[in-house]
Amino acid sequence: MSRTALFAWAVAGALWAQEARQIVEEAQRRSRADSERYQGTLEVIDARGRRNLKRWTYQRLGSHGNSKAIIRFTDPPEVRGVALLILNHPERASDQWMWTPATQRERRIAIQDRSTRFFGTDFSFEDLEERDVNQYEYRMMGEETIEGAPCWKIESRPRKTRASQYSHSLLWIRKENYTLARIENYVGREPVRRANYREVQNVQGIWTPRLIEMHDLRRNSRTLLRLERLEYNVPLKESEFTLQALRRGS
Amino acid sequence: MLLARLSWAYLKKHRLRWALTIGGVALGVAVLVAMRLANQAVVASFHRTVEGIAGRTQLQVHAGDLGFPEEVLERVQAIPEVAAAAPVIEAALDTGLPGQGHLLVVGVDMTGDRSLRDYQFESAEEALLEDPLVFLAQPDSLIVTREFAERNGLRVGSRIPLGTAAGLRWFTIRGIMRPGGLSQAFGGNLAVMDVYSLQHVLGRGRRFDRIDVALREGITLEEGQEALRRALGPGFEVEPPSARGRHFEAILRSFSLTLNITSVFAVLVGMFLIYNSFSVAVAQRRTEIGILRALGANRGQIRRLFLGEAAVAGLIGSGAGALAGWAMARWVAGYVGRLMQEVYGVAQSVESASAEPGLLAAGTGVGVLASLVAAWVPAGAAARVDPVQALQKGRHQVLSAGEYRRRGWLAAASACAAALLLARGRSLGSFYAGYVLAILAALWWTPALSRWLARASRPLLAWLRPVEGALAADSLLQAPRRTSATVAAVMLSLAMVIGFGGVARAIYESLVEWVSTTLNPDLFVTPNAQIASRTYVVPAELGAEIERLPGVRQVQLVRSARIPYQGAPVLLVAAEVAKLAETVHRRPVEGDLEEMYRRTAAGEATIVSESFARLRGLRKGDSIELPAPKGLLRLEIAGIVRDYSDQQGTLLIDRAVYRDWWGDESVNVIRVYLAPGAQAAEVKREILERCGRGRRLFVLANEEVRRYIFRLADQWFGMTYNQIAVAILVAVLGIVNTLTVSITDRRREFGLLLAVGGLRPQVRRTVWMEAVAIGGIGFLLGLGLGAVSLYYSLEMTRRDLAGLSLEYAFPLELAAWLAPVILGAAFLAGLGPAEAAVRGSLVEALEYE
Repeated sequence: MSRTALFAWAVAGALWAQEARQIVEEAQRRSRADSERYQGTLEVIDARGRRNLKRWTYQRLGSHGNSKAIIRFTDPPEVRGVALLILNHPERASDQWMWTPATQRERRIAIQDRSTRFFGTDFSFEDLEERDVNQYEYRMMGEETIEGAPCWKIESRPRKTRASQYSHSLLWIRKENYTLARIENYVGREPVRRANYREVQNVQGIWTPRLIEMHDLRRNSRTLLRLERLEYNVPLKESEFTLQALRRGS
Repeated sequence: MLLARLSWAYLKKHRLRWALTIGGVALGVAVLVAMRLANQAVVASFHRTVEGIAGRTQLQVHAGDLGFPEEVLERVQAIPEVAAAAPVIEAALDTGLPGQGHLLVVGVDMTGDRSLRDYQFESAEEALLEDPLVFLAQPDSLIVTREFAERNGLRVGSRIPLGTAAGLRWFTIRGIMRPGGLSQAFGGNLAVMDVYSLQHVLGRGRRFDRIDVALREGITLEEGQEALRRALGPGFEVEPPSARGRHFEAILRSFSLTLNITSVFAVLVGMFLIYNSFSVAVAQRRTEIGILRALGANRGQIRRLFLGEAAVAGLIGSGAGALAGWAMARWVAGYVGRLMQEVYGVAQSVESASAEPGLLAAGTGVGVLASLVAAWVPAGAAARVDPVQALQKGRHQVLSAGEYRRRGWLAAASACAAALLLARGRSLGSFYAGYVLAILAALWWTPALSRWLARASRPLLAWLRPVEGALAADSLLQAPRRTSATVAAVMLSLAMVIGFGGVARAIYESLVEWVSTTLNPDLFVTPNAQIASRTYVVPAELGAEIERLPGVRQVQLVRSARIPYQGAPVLLVAAEVAKLAETVHRRPVEGDLEEMYRRTAAGEATIVSESFARLRGLRKGDSIELPAPKGLLRLEIAGIVRDYSDQQGTLLIDRAVYRDWWGDESVNVIRVYLAPGAQAAEVKREILERCGRGRRLFVLANEEVRRYIFRLADQWFGMTYNQIAVAILVAVLGIVNTLTVSITDRRREFGLLLAVGGLRPQVRRTVWMEAVAIGGIGFLLGLGLGAVSLYYSLEMTRRDLAGLSLEYAFPLELAAWLAPVILGAAFLAGLGPAEAAVRGSLVEALEYE
């Protein structure tokens, strides 16, 4: 290969990387909201087709990479009150605490445990964290159509500062509204989890997928997360996202 | 061929003696094998439990039984070399299910613990692994092993009671683990619970017992250990899981030593029986040997004949003994396991003692070797038989004046060397060499002393029964070799009894003093059913509640637990020392009591037990460093006292120091002193009624605690008492055998006596008196050697066993009790031979004439 060809290849690669990053940045910009609240329904369908239903409420303050979120389980009755506080940081992995009302105790979920499944769903604790554009390197992989929607296909690799169970991920972002259509997470060359983002609706000016289907490819089980009564930019206080608030059950 | 023909003929004639000989070897080997197998089973069971629970854990962070605050977990998880770190609490809880004893409950954090342990669930409950939400949300959740579930007819959803800090509570089984891995720990009597729920169950507050750690790929164990130590400081132990086994073995050490002594003692007993039987056999077959020698058999052939018999007896006895030992091992292991739990509070579940072929073969080998060694001397005596003397009955029993002199010199030399080693020797080897030399000196002197005592007893015997007494005394004097052999056996057995008994008595008396001076509160309030157990704790506020009750003068809060000190677990007792100074007036071994209390209460020093100091070569004024979660706590030893709380040693510090360095407010014992006139039963009822609601609480009266401690002491000394009984039995067997030989040798004499008009009752009485005289002489010499043996036994206890310098006091009561026992046993031992003497054929007895 000539020097000119090599240079052209390098420039094209840099431009594609630049373009990929810009697309993700734009997607992040368009989904930005100061706060968020919804009621989620989690339906786990295991490899044998058995179904398990849980409900929670979700509240988030801040956005991408610098946000705080609380999840509180509301159903079934035996898990009602169990809560999870997630503090996302732009420069490192998030801090997570779990609150169990029966023992009146919070417990910290360690970084090394975030690859484990989130309470029987096909999400891992890490999947619940918000992805910030600055924590990854991007590369444009081309264009593909996902469920009828033309998408950019982008590869993201976590930067060294970002601890992740995944070696890399493939993102499909809809050209139409910059919403995620699919994420495929890899460990080495093996795809391990695939999330499809469906039922995209405009909520308060933000295009939002209302149904996320996470597929654990190794276990062949699926989890459907349906977002109901979704609201953006609701008035939430910092004090509601602390360990004290977690303990109070507010 | 010779063996087959001659030995078989003799064996058929003396079946009972051979059975006893083989039984003796079998007993020795059985005890040896049983003790070794049991010891191995107990240690192996503990290792199995540790390994089963450890899973993929590479390192464990702990600070002894006291645990440490939860925050340490975050510090460990933040270390880059650590791939996974999970908190653990372990406790053996009462199941409340009939016949199930304790259930080892392992508290883990299910959100992250799977990276360290395999929880193999029954397929139906696999979801539990993936969705621990219900398990975590419900604090009554429990996962049990399939073995435990099947044994108790339990399934998912079943409920079982468990003793908690808040009293008996019901727990729901939410998962059942398949056999293997974690399930095999603690013999399957294992359950898994959420670690935070278990904190609540045990009333432990926000503390963990330990943190199990897996390292990142490429990080070596040493690198991981170094990184953890650097991050946590010197207050924590960072060790691989196998180190827990080493700690357990350290706790077991003194008990293992007792088991080993028992094993060696059992083999020695077996050897003595072999020696005795073969001595009798040589005596009885002296004529036969003489004839064989006259016919051309050489000394080697005679020696081989007897050694061959010993080898066969040893092989049969050892084989049977090894199998019997294997059968006994499980029972012994169970006993040891229970003892470990009661005395040390170390949870044990010994499910089996496997038959290790190597150990069974080694036991058989030891039995055969011991038989050969024991038969060596009689076989040698048989080989040296002079054909002419063999046909002159009684001649071989005489010792020449030269032989007396030679033995006397040997005895004197051994005694001098023993004294020299005792006075100058510093090493352990010289101490034990001195002990052996002292025993040898006694053995060399036995013939001369026996002769002297027999001569001295002649007037007394003749005064009692002029004819029979004189005959009995003369018989002893005319056969010093025979007499001294039995006297030596009785003497050695008694010396052993005096040694063991004297130590047991000294410890017992010291224990009584300790209990009286130290454990003197009127009531003990504890969340544990047994005072030695430390599974549950209660908050310190309970002490204040109790102190407010009518009739209570003072309460003293105590928190005790084992902590690691220089690689071995020692007992740390944190108490309100200023209050202790008012009520506990013990006799110090080193230091001034008032000063040591004052300095310890001020937090600048510690009071240590004698065993702690002696076993580590420490003195008053030395400084020690105790690992605590806050760092290394340096304290000066202000005084040394005698304390029996723990064999590895006890350290007393002030409670304020403990709270500061260990960050723990809990207590496990509250010592309650009553106001004058208050009734213990009434106050006990008040405490239970007002403070015991919703709490696991036991109120023990002083008498109950004393009884418990002395019961433990009795259990501990159980083996010593058995050894004493066996030693007495050996003495009796020795007398029976000697008298049998005596009768065999003196058949002609008795025949003549009867032929010239002697009466059968007179012959009977002669034998009886001889038996009692042998017993008496052996008894007197035994007391002498026992006095020496007791000294050495006390030194052994101080140097090797417990680090206790017990006071020397000759056990006079024991000696007074032994006098009728030995004389009575000697008399009983003489009954059989006496009957044999009067019932023997007169014609046969006089055939030589």
